[in-house]
Amino acid sequence: MKIKQAVKKKLNDKILYTNLKNFASNYKLSRQNALSGLDFLKLRNDIYKSKDFSKEEILALFEEFKQHVEKSGCTVLHAEDGLAANRLITQICKKHNAEYVVKSKSMTSEEIKLNHYLEKQGLKPIETDLGEWILQIAGEHPSHMVMPAIHKTRQQVAKIFEKHTGEKIDPDDIDKMVKIARKYLREYYFKATVGITGANIAVASTGTIGIVTNEGNARLSSTVPPVHIVLVGYEKLVKNFSDAMKIIRLLPKSATGQNISTYVTWIKGSNPSFKSDTGNKHTYYIFLDNGRLSFFEHPFLKDALKCIRCGSCANVCPAYEMVGGHVFGDIYIGAIGLILTSMLHDEKKAKEILTLCIGCKACSFNCPAGIDLQSIISDLNVYMGKKYFINPVKKFVYSAVMKNPSVFKTAMKAAAFIQKPMLTETKENLKNLPYIPKEHNFRKLPSIKTKTFSELFKEKKLDEFKSSKKVFFYPGCAVEYFFPEIGVSMVELLQKTGYQVDIPKTQVCCGLPAIHAGDGQSGKKTILKNIKYMGNPDEYEAFLVLCPSCGMAIKEDFKKYTLDYIAEFKKSEKIGKKVMSFANFLKIQNIGFQCDGNIKYTYHTPCHQGRGLGFMPEEFLKEIFGQNFIPLKDSDVCCGFGGSFSVDYPGISSGILDKKIENILNTKADCLLTDCPGCIMQIDGGLKQKGINVKVKHLSQILNDLKMIKN
Amino acid sequence: MTNTEALLEKFIEKAETEQTSCIKIDKEAFKNILREQNFDFVNLNTPFKSFNKGCEFDEAGIKNAIVGADFAIAETGTSVIDSTDEKIRLATTLAENLFIALHSSNIVAKLENIVSYMNEKNSADNAYLAFITGPSRTADIERVLTIGVHGPVSLTCYIIQDL
Ligand code: SF4
Ligand code: SF4
Repeated sequence: MKIKQAVKKKLNDKILYTNLKNFASNYKLSRQNALSGLDFLKLRNDIYKSKDFSKEEILALFEEFKQHVEKSGCTVLHAEDGLAANRLITQICKKHNAEYVVKSKSMTSEEIKLNHYLEKQGLKPIETDLGEWILQIAGEHPSHMVMPAIHKTRQQVAKIFEKHTGEKIDPDDIDKMVKIARKYLREYYFKATVGITGANIAVASTGTIGIVTNEGNARLSSTVPPVHIVLVGYEKLVKNFSDAMKIIRLLPKSATGQNISTYVTWIKGSNPSFKSDTGNKHTYYIFLDNGRLSFFEHPFLKDALKCIRCGSCANVCPAYEMVGGHVFGDIYIGAIGLILTSMLHDEKKAKEILTLCIGCKACSFNCPAGIDLQSIISDLNVYMGKKYFINPVKKFVYSAVMKNPSVFKTAMKAAAFIQKPMLTETKENLKNLPYIPKEHNFRKLPSIKTKTFSELFKEKKLDEFKSSKKVFFYPGCAVEYFFPEIGVSMVELLQKTGYQVDIPKTQVCCGLPAIHAGDGQSGKKTILKNIKYMGNPDEYEAFLVLCPSCGMAIKEDFKKYTLDYIAEFKKSEKIGKKVMSFANFLKIQNIGFQCDGNIKYTYHTPCHQGRGLGFMPEEFLKEIFGQNFIPLKDSDVCCGFGGSFSVDYPGISSGILDKKIENILNTKADCLLTDCPGCIMQIDGGLKQKGINVKVKHLSQILNDLKMIKN
Repeated sequence: MTNTEALLEKFIEKAETEQTSCIKIDKEAFKNILREQNFDFVNLNTPFKSFNKGCEFDEAGIKNAIVGADFAIAETGTSVIDSTDEKIRLATTLAENLFIALHSSNIVAKLENIVSYMNEKNSADNAYLAFITGPSRTADIERVLTIGVHGPVSLTCYIIQDL
């Protein structure tokens, strides 16, 4: 598999690792600062709504835009695809006898591989954005939408410049390097007949484009040469300036954590130009379709057209942070890159790189355009699974084993037996497995317990506690087979508060693993069974989970996969509204705890806890543990588990885990609390493998041992 | 503090974090500056119009230029400059040191407050408007913030107190 080799190579790239890691942690802070005091959710919702167009609407905006700019003699053209756009641009350059063409950074021109085409036609395109220019003279491609050369060190840049200019360059003198670029590029603005820019926004109501830059190269490219070509995707159209300003407000904050970028340039029509024969600039607008227009009608890909190209879905993506943009995306990178690769480029390539998504949802929650990227990626995975093949072993597991509760149970029982000789002394974990590749042994896996949670539930007579106050508990596979004691603690605690806890008659997987692996069919069947075995939602105050991923599946996927089944849809809708994490339930019930010990705790927020179930228990824990609670840096960043992801990409998984462990050690806490059995598997396993003595517990285990206070 | 003063302070705070020097000044003192400093390029409105002067532009660039801003935006520390006149575009992009003159009465709170101005200016057949917040910058090499990559290496705002 090509992708696995590419991943391996990037994982060994120490420069890339350090640059991306440093960037990601600084980025999160500056973004937070830039957004402080703003209602981010409202703003992004505004942007989402303002960009929600049908194909007819976008074409109407295009006509409106066109009318306005044609008044001053500009030309507005439609390009069906990349080749058509390249041809049009070449024709314009030739018509004006251009030799040199200055280009300001434009992802759209990367999309159509414009430079390559122009060079073949004997033209000399010069990238003027510093990062792009470095890559151009190095013969490489961008690895980030906003910081194209983030994968390069100053030493590497110094070498590239030395080779290009023949000057000796001190690798620590970045100032000098920037001056050299300034000197070299300045002359090209004057040599060039044509300047090409992209546009971040096209305002239909007036026919004005907006370009956002820090360097000012777009201003020079659109001012000095007598010809200006604007290459813009149809999706950049907005109705009016009010909508445009919303984008201007969030774009730089999301992109780099800047309050605003240095230059926002608004250009309408043909402006004066002393170098032009007519005294006015020859201005051309090329609107690129390349599939976009039809996607305005697509049920789940449509939203991707709302992207404002801030690049921040890459900045927060833990998987991207491990491998960088040369693997994670094709031309466009990060979460949106995975999606746009399917839409605008190679579907087969997209199928491969889509598997790099661990499903943490950080991108969705961060996107200033309100795009639920993770959900689109998940839908694309299912689409790819249907169209191409799914790994036959996985397919068998999801379709024949996991969706059949009795078969699954038998299989797990058998596994519990087979694993016996491989158990560590405590029987809690497995020893390092000798016959699997070393890279998989970055954590100690938990053992399958001989008694399932459902069996313990009966055995301990937890099913005999009756009360009028009732909750329904969905244990999920991890609690059922690997961590039954976590479930028992929770039930005991709830019974102390007077709640009767019911569990499913038969334990079925929530369906998320199958869906994530692209097996939508098995996912759907699994979900339908689940709904059957779950109690009547009207009888229960809440549906509780100890695994937030199951919770999120119940909340989101159950509805999505029962659209064709009216009764089941109705039931999942009701259940979805009542599903919550255990801590959230305690909070709502106003139940507190008292803790006198001196153990120091910290908390890791599982991806689907904060971002899926929308509850962060940190405040709640501070109340309980006071001084003894130490917040964890990047608490809500993924631990790298991601179900079968950690088996498919152990290198990425363990890399993400290492960063988590570093943050945990920095808290000096004795015990890490969390809310997800998957995270326990990953983090506890990693700590044990490294011999680090920090305990890892599910909240339910710790709370059950504390003194309860009913407020 | 009156609302205008608050906006002024906010503007200065935000502009300074973006490496812009802000100087509060009254009309007469500003006229003195215009007399003393030998700007290569001056483009201002009344009452400073008599100081306006042009220059030639080539790839050598110019030493310094001063232009008037129509508005300033407090929340971002941004100056709004009508650059439809090509000379203003060239001067503001090619000057080593850029100076902007703005009136404190023209500071608005938010980006949204500039919408009607944008609509008005863009009702003409052509327009070129610039929001400028600080000197030209890059962070493309190891994300180290470096000033003056293509355009001005410094930006100074004279805020003329006309209230
Ligand atoms: S998808 Fe969202 S986060 Fe990603 S680049 Fe586009 S706007 Fe930014
Ligand atoms: S869900 Fe997480 S891993 Fe997947 S693309 Fe988004 S941020 Fe990256």
